[in-house]
Amino acid sequence: MTMTRLDDNVQQERTVFFVVHPLDAMPEEKVETEHLGPMRMTRTVRICLFALRGYLSLMFGLLAFRVLQLAGVIHG
Amino acid sequence: MTTHGTQHNELAAAPAKPIQVRNKAWAQVLTFLMVFGPGLIVMEADNDAGAVSTYAQAGAQYGTHLLWLLLLLLPICYFVQEMVVRLGIVTGQGHATMIYRRFGKWWGRFSLADLLLVNFLTLVTEFAAIALALGKLGVNPIFGVPVAAIALTALVLTGSYRRWERIVVFLCLLDLAWFAIAFQVHPVVGDAVKHMLAPSLPGGGLTSSWLFLVIAIVGTTIAPWQLFFQQSCVADKRLRFSDLKWARLDTLVGAVFTILVAGCMMLAGNAAYERHWDFTDPAQMAVQLGGVFGPFIKNAILLLMINAAVLGTTTISLSSAWAYGEVLGWPSSLQKPIKEAPGFYAVYALCVLVAAGIVLIPGAPLQLIILSVQVLAGIMLPSAIVFLQLLLNDRQVLGENFANKPWNNVVNWAIVVLLFVLSLLLAVQVAAPNLFANT
Repeated sequence: MTMTRLDDNVQQERTVFFVVHPLDAMPEEKVETEHLGPMRMTRTVRICLFALRGYLSLMFGLLAFRVLQLAGVIHG
Repeated sequence: MTTHGTQHNELAAAPAKPIQVRNKAWAQVLTFLMVFGPGLIVMEADNDAGAVSTYAQAGAQYGTHLLWLLLLLLPICYFVQEMVVRLGIVTGQGHATMIYRRFGKWWGRFSLADLLLVNFLTLVTEFAAIALALGKLGVNPIFGVPVAAIALTALVLTGSYRRWERIVVFLCLLDLAWFAIAFQVHPVVGDAVKHMLAPSLPGGGLTSSWLFLVIAIVGTTIAPWQLFFQQSCVADKRLRFSDLKWARLDTLVGAVFTILVAGCMMLAGNAAYERHWDFTDPAQMAVQLGGVFGPFIKNAILLLMINAAVLGTTTISLSSAWAYGEVLGWPSSLQKPIKEAPGFYAVYALCVLVAAGIVLIPGAPLQLIILSVQVLAGIMLPSAIVFLQLLLNDRQVLGENFANKPWNNVVNWAIVVLLFVLSLLLAVQVAAPNLFANT
């Protein structure tokens, strides 16, 4: 935690806050993702990835068409 | 705090260099200042050389009629980048790593290759802008561009994230000078406010050039590299769970600042619009405005063009270096000295130096590179946002606390659909440029 609250009730009843830069703090434990494996293929994920493949195929197809058109390979 | 069986022991950290304060509000301000950086940098660096050109062109062609679009893009920028902040803080990993781990090698390689290609082409345009502005300032680009490239490489080689961040935040704040420029060119404030709050069409109505300028502005304001950059930056800075609210505020401050600066660039272009001037690049606009408003305006715009390109170069190169290094499992951190992360620094230096070298080649096809950047960035952005949206709904990783809420999803799917539509319109234009010619 960035601010640590200490009750110094022995000497003086005052609150002290310690502010620490993230790079000076001990590294925090994060959610482990290395061994989780691929994401579960729910219907939403499947539909999104399918739509993405379609979109990318269309876009790169159009791009290739335009490049060939500019190169004079395709006329029209 | 426990998330999915993982213990996030926030108090385990023994403060190495704590600052002791007695006032809670002051402690919060200090905490914010320590977390502050990645949000401002990622947003302001997006106002790079290409953005200066696009916003100035928008102002020169349509006056203040497109200011409403910037206001609309403000929440979009924030929502998109806030998601990568959450993902970065929870996983401590970069965006490229998460795509590899959760979607497999095919999508991982596709995203990485696309990112590296678009980033590299964008870097060439940044150095082209530096060369252009230096030329107008009377500095020979043959000397100026290599000096800029070496300085940009040296900027990251200090082995200190904090030093890099402080310098880059300072460069971001130099963009405050755009407010002085906007003030000096005397815009009609009433018109600007009216056009910002109420969308309106310019005199000529809806034309193809208007539509594609709108697409260009959207593409300029939200870029794929930003997702990769901010997540890696958050991970490198080791932001903690308790820093999330401050990192969100940092992102919001960055988004507001960036949109305001973009508005000032449009107002500078508006000064050319009011005088019916035509220009092909912002350096030419600077010279024309300098003739009316004095040398301050000319020199300020040219120096800010260089600053924009420098900010764009360091952040875009870092997004490439972080992404490539993370995927290959290399040590990739600005905190590490060169000998501990040679691959990471080599990728950064290679990106910067080769891009600078291409600009110095006489007759290099810069127009083709600029067009390629626009097309490839247009293709990549919707796919990058789809991965982001799916990752932010990955409850196995984020748990219920950090995954998207239903309202997040409504907003983000609306953004995805908007980007797909704009991207498809761009594709139609590329495939059949005559389709919109007479509209």
